[in-house]
Amino acid sequence: METRRVIRSAVMLGFIIAITGLMAWSIISKLNLMPTATAEDLKALPLWQIPLHYIWDYAQHGWLCLGFAFIMSGLFQEFIPQDIMLKYMGSGDWRAYLFATLLAPVFCVCSCTMVPIFGGLVYAGSGIGPALTFLLVAPANNLLADIITVQVLGWPIALADMAAGAVSAIAIGYIVSKTPWGKAFEDKFKGSGRASADVDLYVEPFDDRLWNAFRFGAQMMKQILPSFLIGLVLVSYFQAFFPEDIVRNLMTGPRGVLVAALLGGPLYTPTLIEVVLGKALMDLGMSPAATVAWLMGQPYDIPNSLSASKVVGWKIVLTYGFLAFIAAVLSGLVYGVLTGGF
Amino acid sequence: MTVNIEIIGVEPACYRCKETKENAEKAAAKLRSEGIDVTIDKLNVMAKSTMDRFGVVRTPALVVNGSIKIMGKVPDPGVIERIVRKEL
Repeated sequence: METRRVIRSAVMLGFIIAITGLMAWSIISKLNLMPTATAEDLKALPLWQIPLHYIWDYAQHGWLCLGFAFIMSGLFQEFIPQDIMLKYMGSGDWRAYLFATLLAPVFCVCSCTMVPIFGGLVYAGSGIGPALTFLLVAPANNLLADIITVQVLGWPIALADMAAGAVSAIAIGYIVSKTPWGKAFEDKFKGSGRASADVDLYVEPFDDRLWNAFRFGAQMMKQILPSFLIGLVLVSYFQAFFPEDIVRNLMTGPRGVLVAALLGGPLYTPTLIEVVLGKALMDLGMSPAATVAWLMGQPYDIPNSLSASKVVGWKIVLTYGFLAFIAAVLSGLVYGVLTGGF
Repeated sequence: MTVNIEIIGVEPACYRCKETKENAEKAAAKLRSEGIDVTIDKLNVMAKSTMDRFGVVRTPALVVNGSIKIMGKVPDPGVIERIVRKEL
């Protein structure tokens, strides 16, 4: 029995190390993990072949990165000590902001866990600020999205996106908690200080936990891949036929930042598709600064706002939506000024 | 001896919460056939009463006799069975 467990663990660990090694090697040797097809290549094909060609192109380069991302989210999901994290996030002082920012990325790989935690933080009286910070950071900086953003759009834009996402989420949470309606909302739950739950987590053997991690990754893949494929089909046509002049005129310079921020939010796309679509837009001429603003639009997309509004009401959602839009524009502008990437 | 299982999930249930409930039913069926009395309830994570009892939880969560045993993942029927047996 024991030997079997050790062997199982060793095989799975070996696989994880191999995938991580391959990933590191591909980064070091600067392999291109993105589709390489240009608009000209795609236009030359019959209509029905365009998406197939694009997806094949993506699959050839992207399987490693996607596989790595899914395995990592499974591992984080399984091995992060959750009770301690939740305790600190609910503490209501500066530590709550810190934990919300640092942990949301590895904590919330599945969107259906996010709003309940948000609601929990609010109802538990730990303050609207940290709860909002958490809600805004989670979709923007989740682990899966971060790995893909780095691979698809490169380090400078990915880092800018992560940093800007974290800073603006903290700022927005803090500002909303200081508005009159934010304060009024918070007061409703002040001192609701619930009895801390009796948490006595059951710990499975190590090999079973590793296996759980793989299973979780596979589940996520099953959930995400269909919409991801549909997204790729749309992006392939978009890249082939969308007129370059429009992108070049509208999505460059300071005005481009504004346009990208406007489009990036309400236009709901799952983060993974938003990243690929961003890449297609960049190939068509969108400036790096506008791309940063585009990516920052994620937190105020419509479904996310709808579920949050059930918890905190429309006034607060509109406030943070507006602030998130400003933050997206500002980050794009700052990136443009600092790097000259207008 | 009665063992009380509660599953905390979102309403409407996401597929992971549903799976947890199904697995709990499977474990319960097996335990009941051995004469162990098992009850299963479903709690809504966003309900005030759940919040008051448990505070912030990750869903799906499995509660056995009032204490949280599993958070944020779907346990197998076998795992649930083992947890319940430890309570006996």
